[in-house]
Amino acid sequence: MTADDLPGLNCGLCGLPTCAELAERLQTEPKLIERCIHLSPDRVQGAKPASAAPVATAVPGAPATCGACAPFPERTTAQSRLAPTWRDTLGRDIDFYLEHFPEDPGPREIILPHNPMLTREMNIQPGEILIGRPLGMSCGCPITHCGVVMQVDARTGVIVWCVTGPLNPRQKGFKDLGYYIAEGYEGMVAQTRVELKIGMRYFFQPRMCMLQWRHSGLVNFMNRTSGGIQVRLEGLWIG
Amino acid sequence: MSGLIYFDNSATTPIDPRVSEAMAPFLAGAFGNPSSLHWAGREAHAAVEHARHQTALLFGAKPEEIIFTASGTESDNLAIIGLVEALDHRENHVITSAIEHPAVLEPCRYLQQRGLEVTYLPVDSQGLVSPDDLRKALRPTTRLVSIMAANNVVGTLQPIQELARITREHGALFHTDAVQAAGKIPLNVNTLPLDLLTLSAHKLNGPKGVGALYVRTGVALKPLIHGGGQERGLRSATENVAGIVGLGRAAEIAREDMSAEAARLVRPRDRLIETLAISLPNAYLIGHRYRRLPGHVCLGLAGQESEAIKLLLALDEAGMAISTGSACSAHHASEPSYVLRAMGFDVLRARGSLRVTLGRFNTEAEVDRFLDVLPSIAAALRPITTRQPESAPAL
Repeated sequence: MTADDLPGLNCGLCGLPTCAELAERLQTEPKLIERCIHLSPDRVQGAKPASAAPVATAVPGAPATCGACAPFPERTTAQSRLAPTWRDTLGRDIDFYLEHFPEDPGPREIILPHNPMLTREMNIQPGEILIGRPLGMSCGCPITHCGVVMQVDARTGVIVWCVTGPLNPRQKGFKDLGYYIAEGYEGMVAQTRVELKIGMRYFFQPRMCMLQWRHSGLVNFMNRTSGGIQVRLEGLWIG
Repeated sequence: MSGLIYFDNSATTPIDPRVSEAMAPFLAGAFGNPSSLHWAGREAHAAVEHARHQTALLFGAKPEEIIFTASGTESDNLAIIGLVEALDHRENHVITSAIEHPAVLEPCRYLQQRGLEVTYLPVDSQGLVSPDDLRKALRPTTRLVSIMAANNVVGTLQPIQELARITREHGALFHTDAVQAAGKIPLNVNTLPLDLLTLSAHKLNGPKGVGALYVRTGVALKPLIHGGGQERGLRSATENVAGIVGLGRAAEIAREDMSAEAARLVRPRDRLIETLAISLPNAYLIGHRYRRLPGHVCLGLAGQESEAIKLLLALDEAGMAISTGSACSAHHASEPSYVLRAMGFDVLRARGSLRVTLGRFNTEAEVDRFLDVLPSIAAALRPITTRQPESAPAL
């Protein structure tokens, strides 16, 4: 192959500034030709679609988001943006969507460090930024969470925090809990397709869950408000 | 070993000193309004027209085909909304891809609510739009196809020539969001059948707050901003003279240095890809091996995807600015997850990407330092599983 067979754009994308230099190298290293994107078969053929899905004519799937994505301290807008599908990303049915309180910077969770003594040893205070992962029993999410502390019970080690995302830790520093247990969620139910009753266990979708995986939990507090039903859920599991 | 390292050039780039030098007179002293007829206005007008000429040359366009705007986002909005609103037809259809920047997707969604039909083309596992899919999606009512030249998250370069040619043959117009690609890959409107092209100065070592839209002669748009009729009536507002001068100079430098700069960046990029694949056994490359922006690396860490936030924080602490495709940084960029999702990644992998983007002022020594630090930081992360991760897919 000579320089005349190359596109002559001298684009540099192969790692050599000119087509002439590439042509020279090709004499001894013919495999380098795959670096020329203008001659690559993709140019004409494209490539196989990632899935067998037909050409989509609807809005592509909403970006997966987690509580962490809640712009701090912006209010939730997910509720108004997304029409209920009543299914999670694994296709499982759900009973309701759980939104975070509009006055909160993100979804409110009641958590316990795996070693509850950490709450005192690390002198966790309201307003501080924490990170950690909800390991194991309740509720097994694989994602490291970042949030801001709302309340602390130094006696039991229980912390109430709002999951907000990594912007705060980056700007303000953070304390690392390591692992924690998600003991409970509090939030609002604006969209439900079943009648909620205290004492019942439901499948629900935390609206800001990044993986959009179904959770289940026991409703042990309910309060009807103009913005929807305020609930507290405990005994949490994913799935 | 002190000093900060900036490897996030797809987010924005530092201003080239040659650009700030060109802008300086217009930030101090030369304050005229280009619309004024007196000496002060004439000076500003000449500077804006010179910048228009410089910008047009980057694409082989005519100066009058360049409209200055305030951002890449505004240019995308003007291209899409401005074109659709200028149409007389009863039924209109627009084609775009599932991995476009929100500056393209959101105007499409907005128009969809007002009755426009939109097709979002899928991409393959490397982020490429298939020309065959475009062919199948074209309808008699298709008026516009908008496909980005290079993706901001994964760096993949689209087969723009093929896509634009298919669109031209069908009789529709082709817009490309070239915010990431402009000045890095050759984009010449005399050889590529592009009708509209979006550019942003701050991705080109120019200032923030200024962008441009190339509008091929004969393409009719409706303005989004109404007022005094500047920019051929397409973008009323007193011109951001200093910013426009900066964009012009940035475009000129990019054009002059393009080949050498691309070749210079491909080497450290490939070194990053190849070295990380060895030093991090669970690393896998996201996007095409070669068909990507010259300084763009997007990696996943198998089994540690959910710890991407911690990796970013630890690197930040070490003075190294990179970007993660974490959905949790969604306030900055919600795009990573939907781009990777469209490429077929599951929700966990779709958030665990690591984006390292090199630019004009990065050096091989900085790459060395990054390569020294990253493996130890990655090793300190808590994996989801205690089981050793399997080897990642071959690069």
